Amino acid sequence: MRAFFDMGGYAAFVWPAYAVTLAVVILNIVWARRALVRARAEARRRLDVRAGEKS
Amino acid sequence: MTWTWFHRLGSPPYVYALAERLTPWFAWPAALLIVGGLWGGLVLAPPDYQQGDGFRIIYVHAPSAWMSLMVYTTMAVAAAVGLIWRMKVAHAVAASCAPIGASFTFAALVTGALWGQPMWGTYWEWDPRLTSELVLLFLYLGYMGLRAGIEDTQRADRASAVLAVVGVVNVPIIHYSVTWWNSLHQAPSVMRLDKPTIPASMLVPLLMMLLGFTLYFAAILLVRLRAEILSRERAASWIRAEVFAT
Amino acid sequence: MPGSSAAGALAPLPAPRSAEQALTGAATVADMEASARPASALDAARLALLRDLQLAFRRRAQLVQPLAFFAMVTMLFPLAISPELARLREIAPGVLWVAALLASLLALEFLFRDDAHDGTLEQYALSGQSLTALMFAKTAAHWLLTGLPLALMAPLAALSLGASAAAIPGIVVAVAVGSVALSLIGSIGAALTLGIKRSGALLSLLTLPLSMPVLIFGARATQLAIGGASFLAPLELLGALAVLGVTLAPLAAAAAVRISLE
Repeated sequence: MRAFFDMGGYAAFVWPAYAVTLAVVILNIVWARRALVRARAEARRRLDVRAGEKS
Repeated sequence: MTWTWFHRLGSPPYVYALAERLTPWFAWPAALLIVGGLWGGLVLAPPDYQQGDGFRIIYVHAPSAWMSLMVYTTMAVAAAVGLIWRMKVAHAVAASCAPIGASFTFAALVTGALWGQPMWGTYWEWDPRLTSELVLLFLYLGYMGLRAGIEDTQRADRASAVLAVVGVVNVPIIHYSVTWWNSLHQAPSVMRLDKPTIPASMLVPLLMMLLGFTLYFAAILLVRLRAEILSRERAASWIRAEVFAT
Repeated sequence: MPGSSAAGALAPLPAPRSAEQALTGAATVADMEASARPASALDAARLALLRDLQLAFRRRAQLVQPLAFFAMVTMLFPLAISPELARLREIAPGVLWVAALLASLLALEFLFRDDAHDGTLEQYALSGQSLTALMFAKTAAHWLLTGLPLALMAPLAALSLGASAAAIPGIVVAVAVGSVALSLIGSIGAALTLGIKRSGALLSLLTLPLSMPVLIFGARATQLAIGGASFLAPLELLGALAVLGVTLAPLAAAAAVRISLE
């Protein structure tokens, strides 16, 4: 187990590399989902406004 | 050959529904492949005789670099389709690609630097591949900046599409730079027409990661695409049904 | 799409033909109608080129600015780094080309600005003449007004940074060819950012990445020239970039102008 984390002495390079990539992967998921949620809320608001104008 | 499928892709509600249905079909296999690839690459693959365990960075660096190029190419193709056939949906695809590509170009540069330091003794070198990858990052940022700077959506679409197409010349430069010039970077060992030179135990996890990331990109793209389509369709009737049906 | 109908209904704005017309700067509507005859793309390009040159000479002060900027930037490096000529000679190629690149970026601002402002650009787009040819003409005029003077000034800057007089011909040629590529690449970014307020930073962001190969080969050529060696290889690559630019950039710029004017 120790050897695994040590990565043959390269731990200081390998793990940050994986961390950065994981961060980017997660960030993209969060970003995309938030964009969709925001777009839906925007669309809902726009339609409500229009409905309000029409009535 | 009928082109109806192509024309159907020009319809935002059709694409929206299709994107919603397809997303899980890309997301779950992507997750499986990435987890499997990580296991194979970090645990199962033996250490490299030259680079020891340090070579394992390849399992995040190569997919990131692959993403940066593949996403840009997708963006450029979508932009070209949008320009030629005047398809709004194509422009929406291009817009959705940019942030994904930019973030993975950044990841490629950082993971590359972290790999370069122990292997070549330097975090950065102004060699052709690294420099042109940095140029790619600026192209993404320029694309997003241009979009943000133009208020009219249609003009923003078309202007940024021209930029995307002009910049695509950088992609083959990045890929072939290691064969055209004496570069610090190693020559291609996977993307070759003859047999790759790395052993299967190392190659298979790498291929899993590359495929996994590609499917992951498709899933993220489909989510962003839905958001783009929603924000572009002003008050179309299909949106009402879609948005109020929670 | 930039078409090249030789039988366009309207000729493009002809160059001012008399002193009075030269002073007013733009042809009148009557002028346009009077010369309403089909013109070839080459004629149109020539007229656009002459017009730009004549208009620019009326505002000579504006032409000096990029050159002054180039001189100033070059001057900053000895002050900031070291006045020793031996050290300066090492960095001279890089300094020269970074300064040239920044100066040409500055000059790009006025490639389309005035024409977009007074509607000439729209006339060009509507004239039925090949917009690509007109873009080429405008960029050519721009190079004659900024790139070429830059190439002639560069030896002075190089000498001030410790280069020997023997390097001068090489430096002039390298900067002349490289600045052609820079003008062409820059015209695309300038066309894309037409009408965007305070687009200076965005223009740089769009133009600099594509200009990097020019910088790399140009600096290499200058370095070899200063060292007295043959600079033919990077010069040929610079030439290739310039040729690539000539064939592709006006097309892209024309497309971008049409998009910006919609």
